[in-house]
Amino acid sequence: MSRHQAPVGVDRLIHEPARLAIMTNLFVVESANATYLLRQTGLTWGNLGSHLAKLEEAGYVTITKGFKGKQPQTTVALTLQGRTALVGYREQLLATLAPVVGS
Amino acid sequence: MSGLTDLGTLEKQAFRRFYEDGIFDLFLGLMLGTMALGAFATEWSGSETTGLLVMIGVSLVLVVVSMTVRRRLLSARLGEFKPGSIRRRRISFVRFALLGSVVAGVILFGLAAAADVSIGSLEVLMPLVWFVNAVAVFGAMAYFLDVPRFYLHGFLFGSAMPLLVWPDVLWDYRLQPWVAFGVPAAIITAFGVFKLVRFLRDYPVLSTPEPIDV
Repeated sequence: MSRHQAPVGVDRLIHEPARLAIMTNLFVVESANATYLLRQTGLTWGNLGSHLAKLEEAGYVTITKGFKGKQPQTTVALTLQGRTALVGYREQLLATLAPVVGS
Repeated sequence: MSGLTDLGTLEKQAFRRFYEDGIFDLFLGLMLGTMALGAFATEWSGSETTGLLVMIGVSLVLVVVSMTVRRRLLSARLGEFKPGSIRRRRISFVRFALLGSVVAGVILFGLAAAADVSIGSLEVLMPLVWFVNAVAVFGAMAYFLDVPRFYLHGFLFGSAMPLLVWPDVLWDYRLQPWVAFGVPAAIITAFGVFKLVRFLRDYPVLSTPEPIDV
């Protein structure tokens, strides 16, 4: 297996560390704005935006853009599909690592 | 990027961070200080109504200012989130406990007054009720909001009334109200200042504000 390859059967979209951080942070809340996610994950605006776009494209998150006063406000929430995918990712990863964990 | 941890701890850490600004500590300390101010105003004016009005007026200002400052401070530096269902239930419980303590206090005081309990036994009983109430309510806050320092605040807040009354009843030694309320208030306020300074240092306003196309 090459260095950047995900274990077989594991959701590659979630397996990327930055996206995993976004997904897990969203999993424990109902919704959060972009500033919250930026603080929690330590990503840059550019990185955060591109990862969110990929997650939205996959149907894992919903992104609502608006304004709070004159400030842009982006609210992000995990969809049911996203929640299911993260739970599934956990199961897949545990199953993949089971022999290692069991040893 | 921050290190990943289990989801329960992640949620707890994220939520707890929203109490690291020290504003609630400052609010609590200054509220206790307001009671000292009320007692001082009563002595100075010779009228309990004046003392009560000063206390209510300053308390209202404190509530409005601390809520406004807290919202702006946290929103700009930490962002905003809607908690999950478990956390929402825990917050509701804390609100219920706060409301319940106020209602229970009023009922107890009313019953004691209606039953014409002698002033001597009230003087011993009421500080105890105050103390137990403060420890229970702040203990619930500490436990359900996952902010352990509120246990200490409960003890300090609760100790003010016994400090004022019991030495007088037991040893005929009367502490000045501004000392009984002021000392715990000063400790809690100092905590708040320390937390606020650290929060401002650790979480500066983002150098690049949120772009339109995140």
